Amino acid sequence: MKYVILAFIGLVVAPLAGGLLAGIDRRITARLQSRQGPPIRQALYDVLKLFGKEGLALNKWQIICAWVYLIAAALACTLFFLQSDLLLIFFVQAVGAVFLVMGAMAGRSPYSQVGAQRELIQVLTYEPLLVLVFVCMYLAAGSFNISDILAVESPLLAQLPLAYIVLTYILTIKLRKSPFDFSTSHHGHQELVKGVLTEYSGPYLALTEVAHWYETVLLLGVCALFWTTNWLWMAVLLMATYFLELVIDNTMARMTWRWMLKYVWGIGLAMSVVNLIWLYAG
Amino acid sequence: MFKSLIKNSRAKSPWIMHFDCGSCNGCDIEVLACLTPLYDVERFGVVNVGNPKHADVLLVTGTVNHRNKKVLKNLYDQMPEPKAVIAIGACGATGGVFRDAYNVVGGVDKVIPVDVYVPGCPAKPEAIIDGVVEGLKKFQQKVEQAG
Amino acid sequence: MSNLLSILILLPVLSALACYIVRSGAVRRLVVTVTGGVLSVASVALLLRGSFEAWSPGTLFGLSWDLIITVLDFALLGVILYYGFKLKSLFIQIFTLAQIVLLSVFEFIIVEHVAVPAFRADNLSLIMVLIVSIIGSLICIFGLPYMNRHEKHLNLQKTKQPEFFFYLVIFLGAMNGLVLANNILWLYFFFEVTSLCSFRLIGHDGTKVAVANATRALWMNSFGGLGFVVGMMLAYNAVETLSIAALLTAGPQGALALTGVALICFAGFVKAAQVPFQSWLLGAMVAPTPVSALLHSSTMVKAGVYIVLRLAPAYQGTLLSDTIAICGAFTFVACAALAIGQSNGKKILAYSTISNLGLIVACAGLNTPLAITAAIMLIIFHAVSKSLLFLCVGTIEQEIGSRDIEDMRGLYERMPRTSFLAITGVLTMLLPPFGVLLGKWMAIEAAAGSIWVIIMLALGSALTVVYWARWGGGMMGSRKPGQPSESLPLLINLPLMLLCIGAVGLSAATPAIYANLIQPMLSSAALAVNTTTGSLGAFAVYGLYIALGLGLFVAFRAGRRAPVLRKVGPYMGGANLGEDGSFNGPMNQPVAFGAGNLYLSELFGEQKLTMWVNIAGAALLVLMIGGGL
Ligand code: SF4
Repeated sequence: MKYVILAFIGLVVAPLAGGLLAGIDRRITARLQSRQGPPIRQALYDVLKLFGKEGLALNKWQIICAWVYLIAAALACTLFFLQSDLLLIFFVQAVGAVFLVMGAMAGRSPYSQVGAQRELIQVLTYEPLLVLVFVCMYLAAGSFNISDILAVESPLLAQLPLAYIVLTYILTIKLRKSPFDFSTSHHGHQELVKGVLTEYSGPYLALTEVAHWYETVLLLGVCALFWTTNWLWMAVLLMATYFLELVIDNTMARMTWRWMLKYVWGIGLAMSVVNLIWLYAG
Repeated sequence: MFKSLIKNSRAKSPWIMHFDCGSCNGCDIEVLACLTPLYDVERFGVVNVGNPKHADVLLVTGTVNHRNKKVLKNLYDQMPEPKAVIAIGACGATGGVFRDAYNVVGGVDKVIPVDVYVPGCPAKPEAIIDGVVEGLKKFQQKVEQAG
Repeated sequence: MSNLLSILILLPVLSALACYIVRSGAVRRLVVTVTGGVLSVASVALLLRGSFEAWSPGTLFGLSWDLIITVLDFALLGVILYYGFKLKSLFIQIFTLAQIVLLSVFEFIIVEHVAVPAFRADNLSLIMVLIVSIIGSLICIFGLPYMNRHEKHLNLQKTKQPEFFFYLVIFLGAMNGLVLANNILWLYFFFEVTSLCSFRLIGHDGTKVAVANATRALWMNSFGGLGFVVGMMLAYNAVETLSIAALLTAGPQGALALTGVALICFAGFVKAAQVPFQSWLLGAMVAPTPVSALLHSSTMVKAGVYIVLRLAPAYQGTLLSDTIAICGAFTFVACAALAIGQSNGKKILAYSTISNLGLIVACAGLNTPLAITAAIMLIIFHAVSKSLLFLCVGTIEQEIGSRDIEDMRGLYERMPRTSFLAITGVLTMLLPPFGVLLGKWMAIEAAAGSIWVIIMLALGSALTVVYWARWGGGMMGSRKPGQPSESLPLLINLPLMLLCIGAVGLSAATPAIYANLIQPMLSSAALAVNTTTGSLGAFAVYGLYIALGLGLFVAFRAGRRAPVLRKVGPYMGGANLGEDGSFNGPMNQPVAFGAGNLYLSELFGEQKLTMWVNIAGAALLVLMIGGGL
């Protein structure tokens, strides 16, 4: 029974929460720009509207890819709530990431093709770091299983401060925030239009949006694993992290992929290695 | 229930695309002014998307000429149904002060069907926002007629 | 037993001779197809009989087989030496002469010829036999129509196919012998046969490049062979037996013996084209596609990793083991990075192969039961998926006249069937729920305890995603409804289909493969097995794999069922001109648009990286062999 409830949370509640979070995100962003901003439920309205529109895509491969992206993201999120193996979750979400890229490459559209190349570089940037963060968690908690990680006595953050910083880099890339939002620039009138999402419309665009909500929840879930001993502190940690993301988003300019690859790999690898060495030594 | 949810959402999330057809930039500045903190149309869920495939409402400023009429038509065709077109300013409505120029075709409605005309030279931001609201009503009607 | 073994090893030799002597195409077609079928059946039959401890053939016309092998061995080295002189390659001459001298010393002075069982099969050998016999046969069958078209394309006066199939088919026998051998001299003999065959096959087309690359392959592999001989002598010195089984049960045996093992592993490294020896495998791409498929997926290179994996118990728990892991992991990440800079499809496949072999070697070096399981999984699934991909690229190349992945953009439009198979091949290399990824997952779990290996694995697997995803995605495209798909000859279609079904279907059978083949072996081997805890729990989440498979299925159905979409061109700022991929440019002139892949050549270019990779690889190798001491 417990697992049915958990699966329900992962499958149904998580995307709704993700949608609301997207609304909150827009609201806070507006406040940071001294605007009033849309209602909290705005992101949900947007997606519902998209479902009611005519679907356009360049070919059927794109539609298949959008579906796979959604299903993989939903499955990864559900697995997370079912407290499964972190690496398994990682690989399942990678399916979604790969299909998003392949979908963008399936049509003859320069904008989405360029977006796909950049998205690949983003994947290249965050994937090894995410694996290393998971390995850090494995070494600290003794298992890749979330159920075991939940059972730790003291917050992982104490042992893995650097890994957490690396995770915030990953989060910024995954949430498509500045300075790393160059595969689907979220202000749609930049040089890339909407990058990988350019050629999707109506319900297919909605699918990718919902998938993105799942991913957001999944990543925040991973962040939450760093403080599992106390609900209050977990909430504080998550809110602080997300607010930090928003501030970064609003204060940074978009950069180039070269800079991202060098900078994030440099800092990320260095920090993960230092943290790993601490763990081995400890 | 899902249907009515979608119907309600439609009015709450008009994504606009702004196309500068041949404007003197006066109307363009007013359109962009709508997005500034002063008017903040995002309050109503309006997002300025840069891509016809994501847009619900096409805002056209300026006159249509022989060079860009094809572009205007293409953009309109690439928008998914249901969609609405709003012609902004005197130019968008009729060609305005440029209507007698040798290369000008005329107002937007010479090329694509227009749902709402927002007058002015340039049109005021308030008028543009009103126009969008009016456009949404039209488009609700269109959906209902289509069944 | 004896029948099965002679079918598996001798039948290919006889068929090869038949192909060579009877030069008619029809006979060749029949012989190769039948041999393939019989080999496949025999390999399954051998599997059903299960592993066996020892078996030796009797005598032939009163001569002991040990003697025959010895004679053949010297004959083989003589042939290689002949080619060394013919090609004026100093390296080949030196390495081969040294081998002849050392082998004579070994055979006639050092070794006391007590009878040692010639063959032995545990489950690893049986799995290898399956791979060689079934996948190898499919590739040979694919080669029949392929070579006809190939020769038509080259406008040859006189067909060279008898020679080609002679080496191709004899290769299968040699490989079967290699994986079943227990007497280390026999192993060495078969090892050398594969070197010679691959040399002849790479140089088959006889062009200048082909000959040069074949020469390079031969000298590198002779170098490896030299390492093998020296290693064999050192190991014999310590354990006083020719039996590999005895060597393995003895475990790590002091510095000198360990150096011997390290040198044999070194031979395996060369065979598996680990850095800095990757160049021979890359050069081998000039050969006709069936050769590349055979060398890269199921045989030659797998012989290399097989030897390293086979010897795993002999270096367990030593520094050598750790250095092997690091060497393998380095190859994994370095070749994955090099693959990113490539647009030549066959080269990408070659780099990806080397990189995967590196992963397998790394697993062997990690040397825990989990890692060994991962290695065996990778061997199986990599063989199937990679041969599928090679054959697809070959088919595509014959159709479009290019092997560049930029030219394969939107290939689905032209060759829906082949590109669908190729995309499936790419997915099975890359994503769950397919076997290769399962192996990678287990490898990462197994490596979590050793910091440098895990970092390299993490980097390498991300690099892998890049080159696969953009290739797979690029091949997708639009297709007009009602257009017929391309027609392929039966003997090309059938191997492709079977391999594709195998790549997908075998993944579903992973738990069965694990429970029936790998687990029993690990508990019988001298490994500390602890299957109850740890991440072999990977198999407990099998249900989730089903969920993912179902998800893929649902997605494909949704895609197929989607209503016919209104035809809309890609967004081009509204300036599109119809659907022909051009926009309205200056002076009202159409301008074609397109996009190419980002090859990141400033970071991952071949010229930039190769030198550093080679230096680092060589340093690691020295460290590894020194690690034995
Ligand atoms: S209506 Fe007036 S302000 Fe607007 S584009 Fe025309 S001339 Fe310019």
